[in-house]
Amino acid sequence: MNNSRSAESRPVRIHGNRRLFLYYWNRTKQNKLAIAGLGFILFLILLALIGPFFTADPTHVDFAERNVPPLGFSTEESIYDIKTNAFTVNLIEGTWKHPLGTDGKGRDMLAMLISGARISLEVGLLATLIAICIGALIGVLSAYLGGWWDNVLMRFTDIMMTFPFFLLLVLIIFMFGPSLTLIVLVIGLTGWTGAARLIRSEALSLRTREFITAARALGASDARIVIRHLIPNVASLIIVMATLSIPGVILAESALSFIGLGDPSQTSWGIILNDGQKSLDTAWWVAVEPGIMLFFTVLAFNFLGDGLRDAFDPRSNLDAR
Amino acid sequence: MTDSTILEVQDLKTYFFTRRGAVKAVDGIDFSLKKGECLCLVGESGCGKSVTVLSLLRLVAAPGRIVSGQVHYNNVDLVHCSEEKLRGIRGGDIAMIFQDAQSAFNPVLTIGDQIAEQMTIHGSIDRQAVKNKGIELLKEMNIPEPDRVWDSFPHQLSGGMKQRAMIAMSLSCDPKILIADEPTTAVDVTIKAQILDILHTLKEKRGMSLIFVTHDLGIVADIGDRAQVIYGGKSIEMASVSEIINNPGHPYTKGLIACLPDSSTDSERLASIPGTAPNPIDLPEGCPFHPRCAQVMDICRHVVPKQTIISETHTVNCHLFG
Amino acid sequence: MRKSWLQGYILKRLLYAVIIAWGIVTITFILIRIGPNSPADKYLANIAARGQDVAQVTAAIESRYGLDKPIIVQYGDYLMHLAQGDLGWSFSTSMPVIDLIGKHWIYSFQLIFLSSLLAAIIGILLGMYSAVKQYSKIDYIISTFSFAGISIPNFWLGVMLILLFSVKLGWFKVFYDTTLPLLSLENLKALVLPVFTLGTGMVAGYVRYTRSAMLDNLRKAFVTTARAKGLPERTVIGKHVFRNAMLPLVTIIMFDLGSIVFGGAYLTEIIFGIPGLGQISFNAVFANDYPVVIAITLIGTFLALLVNLITDIAYTYFDPRIRYE
Ligand SMILES: Nc1ncnc2c1ncn2[C@@H]1O[C@H](COP(=O)(O)OP(=O)(O)OP(=O)(O)O)[C@@H](O)[C@H]1O
Ligand SMILES: [Mg+2]
Repeated sequence: MNNSRSAESRPVRIHGNRRLFLYYWNRTKQNKLAIAGLGFILFLILLALIGPFFTADPTHVDFAERNVPPLGFSTEESIYDIKTNAFTVNLIEGTWKHPLGTDGKGRDMLAMLISGARISLEVGLLATLIAICIGALIGVLSAYLGGWWDNVLMRFTDIMMTFPFFLLLVLIIFMFGPSLTLIVLVIGLTGWTGAARLIRSEALSLRTREFITAARALGASDARIVIRHLIPNVASLIIVMATLSIPGVILAESALSFIGLGDPSQTSWGIILNDGQKSLDTAWWVAVEPGIMLFFTVLAFNFLGDGLRDAFDPRSNLDAR
Repeated sequence: MTDSTILEVQDLKTYFFTRRGAVKAVDGIDFSLKKGECLCLVGESGCGKSVTVLSLLRLVAAPGRIVSGQVHYNNVDLVHCSEEKLRGIRGGDIAMIFQDAQSAFNPVLTIGDQIAEQMTIHGSIDRQAVKNKGIELLKEMNIPEPDRVWDSFPHQLSGGMKQRAMIAMSLSCDPKILIADEPTTAVDVTIKAQILDILHTLKEKRGMSLIFVTHDLGIVADIGDRAQVIYGGKSIEMASVSEIINNPGHPYTKGLIACLPDSSTDSERLASIPGTAPNPIDLPEGCPFHPRCAQVMDICRHVVPKQTIISETHTVNCHLFG
Repeated sequence: MRKSWLQGYILKRLLYAVIIAWGIVTITFILIRIGPNSPADKYLANIAARGQDVAQVTAAIESRYGLDKPIIVQYGDYLMHLAQGDLGWSFSTSMPVIDLIGKHWIYSFQLIFLSSLLAAIIGILLGMYSAVKQYSKIDYIISTFSFAGISIPNFWLGVMLILLFSVKLGWFKVFYDTTLPLLSLENLKALVLPVFTLGTGMVAGYVRYTRSAMLDNLRKAFVTTARAKGLPERTVIGKHVFRNAMLPLVTIIMFDLGSIVFGGAYLTEIIFGIPGLGQISFNAVFANDYPVVIAITLIGTFLALLVNLITDIAYTYFDPRIRYE
């Protein structure tokens, strides 16, 4: 009890402080859901990295093996036979060759889901990285330049914030054509507003803190102050914000793909889902499986982000049951 | 319980159940309050004064819980009576004022709304009468422009005004007992004197009993009749104020008195008791004060001292007197 | 005293909204101009496909949109048209965009209104309950469900609901029938799944916001004061805590409208074939009908802006602590 109190009243300085890292890690560890989320994310990263070596080519089409259900399930397929002018009903059972089944073109679901995992993680991490960098830049500039610049930058942030994000995405993809790079860029270029506001307000409040004043008195330049003191001090906030904004990015990409505005050259979860939606009556698993992956991925990031926020928040009372 | 006793607290224990274990904020408090007296609860920060007074009206919020003890008022045990009965007593017979009037008022309701609300809940229905009485009380507290204050929001008033409005609110249902938890720590010296003056007058004029929580022995000397010293959540000494100051028994109380600025030598230097306040999650065995006590004996490390009667008006929980 | 500064504040806020609106319109204008295809090209591709005279139509479009004029003049015209409520001509449906929107907005409104209303009521009540019973079993259950609710992709939820209730069980008819009246029993039934789809994420979000706003205030000193006054718990929670929690809550809920709800409604309309603005925009995307796509983006943005403006002013009016001088 007393230990935590004294630690909380310390200013938060992350850089070069292993003890503090351990302290936050211990606080995060108390949250089992956050750890489960972290575990799932690591598993997904591993899957995306080494999975492709062990599975079939996700784009390999094989009509002979189309609509194979996942292992343990079976479906009936009616085939119209011209000669006899009658339907024959085929019973198709799941096989080990395609543990998660195949879609209407006979592509292996497992391979496609692994490819989708890679895309979702790439989009989520890259777009968030871009957004955080822009946000940090605008936030710091706004706080340090102040006055007229601050006003203009913040009004611009307001404009970006007011745009209904999804409509904007649709508009831009519509105008410039669908490509994964563009999707990442657009999400990154529009999603920085929260980070900018947060970092600006943090920078403003930091300017008056003693250790910044002390650093300045010692002759540190503004750039040095920003890099050595401000960034490490807002690091915890940025980590939380990034973790919690990744799921939104992943969902946005999937949603775009789902309505047919995704990159057609990529096998992302949204694109699989879009196919699956059209064949609900013949192959339900094609729609179910990518959604489950999407759901657990988003859930994992939300759990982790929430756990980190509690761990970093000195006011949150982890003691109470 | 004698005739003059209005409130009696026996073996009160309130713990906070946290992941790291039970925080024994209050761990055995006994005292009684007489009609028309001012009893001061004294002790250093974190010793459990606030939790004690909150427990009297069962106001401790989760994860805190009263684990044992009784609080007798008017033949009712406030620890075990029904919610409904308790609500009638809260704000009615026993009222409370808090240290930080700033945050003790609801920021989105006017002062008037909040005072009127208390009177209404305790049975006054005539809105005009309620308002008249409320404004009368504000006036009694020396608040300038009481009509304006009635319609103001808390943030529109100064800290001292809010504290006085708080007292006005607590008096609105003519309580028999007023509990004041450090009402003067957050205000400046002149306001402090005014508030003490108001409380003193109230006690004299209305014959109200007062429980006054403070760590300032100067205030105790000023308005207290008797004082109860608390250490580590336990009662350790109870005596009339003059006895506490002139003839303290417990080594801790002696230390406290020694800490008072010595007015005769005019020195500003404060003596202090070596060591730190006990950790309520891991209270020492035996007497809670023994790790800091200069006169510690072997028994102090193992046995919790019982209450020893020194004189009719003076009891001490210390093995030195055993 | 209160009135005068409030009026000034509203004026300032209005001016500010106009500037933002202007900024947004300008950004869309720039987007249109830097797009790889000139607006006419897209349409011309359609025309050519239908075997009409391309040259003649090109000239007509160019003069209609003033594409032959200098860019500054085009920009001025664009602003002028917008200011007059002229959102252009929908190629694919052959009617003014404004009429098209006039015909279809009600379906979006119906979906969003019903979902928001239900979600707000359910979400706020559950959130309050969860906060009051913090750390109880029910709190854990509600929190877990709200976590699941904010994480479930709403378009996938919609597809799963169709799979379960329409394909497997055959309980609900999936598609909305515009020939029937808006509030006919059939169409209300067709709204059940969409409202559930859109509402789930909203309920989950509101539960979380409410719970944390309530918890923030439940720990404050004035709650102890309220209890010490002898108020019943119902009043303490419902009046003292909730009133303080409500202000930030309303702001967040309103802010969500533009950023989350519009996107969710867009997808929901497409999945369930509700002929609202999302569906119209979606169709226009695939028909290369760019004035419609742009108009709907603009309308969504202006609505979000308007809602923010109203919330801000209401907040200022209702929270006695805020004063802008
Ligand atoms: N909600 C809580 N959870 C855990 N521990 C608590 C809680 N509230 C109080 N405590 C602990 O109970 C002990 C007594 O607190 P209390 O507020 O009664 O002290 P106090 O004597 O009033 O001090 P002060 O003079 O500073 O007001 C403290 O050690 C505190 O840490
Ligand atoms: Mg206290």
